[in-house]
Amino acid sequence: MTLLKVSPPLQQDVDLSQTYDAVIVGSGAAGGMAAHVLTAHGLRVLMLEAGKKLPIEQELRSMEWPYDHPRRGDAPPGSHGLSFNEYTIRKPPYAKATAFKHVYSYVGGWSGSDYVKNILVDEKDHPYTGTNYAWVRARCLGGKTNIWGRLALRLSDYDFKAKSHDGYGEDWPISYADLAPYYDKVDLYLGISGVKENLPHLPDSLFQRPTKLNYGEVKLRHSLAQTGRVLTPYRAGVTTDGLKHNRYRSKCYGRGACNRRPGGCDIHAVFDSPTGLIYPAMDTGKLTIRPNSIAYEVLVDPNTGKARGVAFLDSETRKSYEAKAKVVILAASTLESARLLLLSRSPQHPNGLGNSSGHVGHNFCEHVMGPGVTGLVKELVGKPHTLDDGRPGGFYIPRFRNLQDRQPGFIRGYGFEGSSGHTMFPRHVFDTPGFGAQFKKTVRDHAGAFISMGGFGEVLPRYESHVDLDPDVKDGWGIPVLRFHYQFSDNERKMAEDMVATGREMFEAAGIEVVGVDREVLTEGWSIHELGTARMGTDPKASVLNQFQQSHDVRNLFVVDGSSHVSASCQNPTWTIMALAWRSCEYLADEFRKGTL
Amino acid sequence: MTDAGDRPETLSRREMIAATAAALAAPLLPVPAVAAPSRDALQGRFLTPAELALLDELTELIIPADDRSPGARSAGVAAYIDGRLAESLDPEWQALWRSGLQAVDELSRELNRQAFLPATPDQRTAVLGRMAVGEPDPKTLPERFFKELKRWTVRAYYTSKIGIHVDQEYKGNVYQRGEFAGFDAT
Repeated sequence: MTLLKVSPPLQQDVDLSQTYDAVIVGSGAAGGMAAHVLTAHGLRVLMLEAGKKLPIEQELRSMEWPYDHPRRGDAPPGSHGLSFNEYTIRKPPYAKATAFKHVYSYVGGWSGSDYVKNILVDEKDHPYTGTNYAWVRARCLGGKTNIWGRLALRLSDYDFKAKSHDGYGEDWPISYADLAPYYDKVDLYLGISGVKENLPHLPDSLFQRPTKLNYGEVKLRHSLAQTGRVLTPYRAGVTTDGLKHNRYRSKCYGRGACNRRPGGCDIHAVFDSPTGLIYPAMDTGKLTIRPNSIAYEVLVDPNTGKARGVAFLDSETRKSYEAKAKVVILAASTLESARLLLLSRSPQHPNGLGNSSGHVGHNFCEHVMGPGVTGLVKELVGKPHTLDDGRPGGFYIPRFRNLQDRQPGFIRGYGFEGSSGHTMFPRHVFDTPGFGAQFKKTVRDHAGAFISMGGFGEVLPRYESHVDLDPDVKDGWGIPVLRFHYQFSDNERKMAEDMVATGREMFEAAGIEVVGVDREVLTEGWSIHELGTARMGTDPKASVLNQFQQSHDVRNLFVVDGSSHVSASCQNPTWTIMALAWRSCEYLADEFRKGTL
Repeated sequence: MTDAGDRPETLSRREMIAATAAALAAPLLPVPAVAAPSRDALQGRFLTPAELALLDELTELIIPADDRSPGARSAGVAAYIDGRLAESLDPEWQALWRSGLQAVDELSRELNRQAFLPATPDQRTAVLGRMAVGEPDPKTLPERFFKELKRWTVRAYYTSKIGIHVDQEYKGNVYQRGEFAGFDAT
């Protein structure tokens, strides 16, 4: 086992006097992919990242034992991670009038919050208003890919052509056949582990070696198979066989403790944008990065109406700068890209840039989560302890609703994410009653004997589900903030009820005793899968972007992140974001060469 | 980051209450930014020696030593909780612990006619048993304190060296040979 220790090529001089071929706003999955594809095609690219370049291994300290940390991973006094209760009973901005020095989203409330305190934004400087929303933002090089959940799934024509299937919403302007070659490219370039299942609604990837299922998971898999349902090992955006072309990443060697804190893999077997995409792109000599650069307006040429660059503030000096480029690419995240478009008002674009349709900020969607079940696999009680968490994840049960059948209560579907087995911390202690010798023995005997899973369901996009700019409230840099007008509807609530009932049935049918049921739907935003707000489409009056994530109104403006998604599907979006960005950036590079932009 | 700098360890209890009251009134607590948490910060003590001894015994009653592994006392659970209390900026939380420990002694006097520590082992267990009655839905102070006490005791124990390596025999977080345990679904 050799671990690669290659220093990232991060020290650069940024020349703002030149006009770059392209400027990219954001360095997460979408921005990283745009940088990779465009530099590979020879374009000179400037990437603006609002946050810092963090020494990420030192932040995440992946292998630090809890007892080697003075607070067992908790953040210092004065720091606070928001709880479900706070998101529910209060309205944003959640950090308003709080006594805490720093307030973070709920991710900072998990055990291990000290490891993400420089990755997540401080809610005090980054307020928002409107309806309840648990908005998780990571401002640093790589964004949320530094802490993502790693489940890497494809969409299918059940998703791209969902309207044709059930009549609701809009079809995407592409089909699976258009995107499949780019999913393949992403698989091969970044690595993904999993097992082929030949499902029409969850297409297989080009998998590397899969992680394995443990006893409880296999038991459930076999039981589900009798009803034609599938439980498959977690399809993880993790390289298990290694990537010969990438010197910044090592293959997974099943170390364990992968689920101990949000993300964090110091050997970068897990995909993250910096080691997977950005450092290799910098090695081409074509990519320049400017961190601490908060974009606040896409600049427009008054004569042509085309984008000419991006205005940004330096987060440290608060000075304002302009980055000039022939093409502007937004990849700031679904909500931040929408915010930036709305902020970019000009005489040619009075409603915000690329917003002649009035659809920017609208059709906002995501995944609903919270409901789930926990079961006890009785045969495992009292068995010797094994290594079960040396895997990037446990299992995934793909969607099974509204494929051939029609559910009476809701349209679309959901999948279950789950796992079983031993973890470093035996979480069932909190649900084990009593104290003393018997309590201690019960905790020990039951460790690893539980299996649990929770649903992730498609939230329908609706025009009225939207964000706009708050007319009064500004963030720590004086930039107007987003105001949310977004709530789950009856379809999501009915679906959530079905998750509970069906999860319970699945466990019972497998002979797994149900010991816990979560019914509560978590606050909007909790899945961190926000999508929509600048959707693609063929009709410029009802969509913001064309099938290549190119603005209908401004042909040298592209929005390559999750804001372009037409519907949410129920599959985790990261892999689709990257496949779409790859496809669009190949088109962009072609058009750039032809001079049409 | 530590707040030990703005709270001298010699602060008397009365001063502490005054200081925390002021902190409550302040809209924003002045917390100095320090690069890395230092272990020394946790050696500030919040509990009196008597309170600490009481807490130590309570934690050991919750997770006692057995033939597999040492208990909460050996794992240093009480000292860890005391350290967290000492650096906390939440006076309500600190007050719950102080009044909770006091309530344990009061309950012991009520049941055993003497304070908790001088009582016999059976008598102590009876006190804790009474406190644990309301675990699913705690109402009285002793019941609410039991829940808090247990939560922090198990957190501290199962994140300790003894809890992770001796009691749970955790196998991960070390370099492996590259094979994943479990059933091969392929």
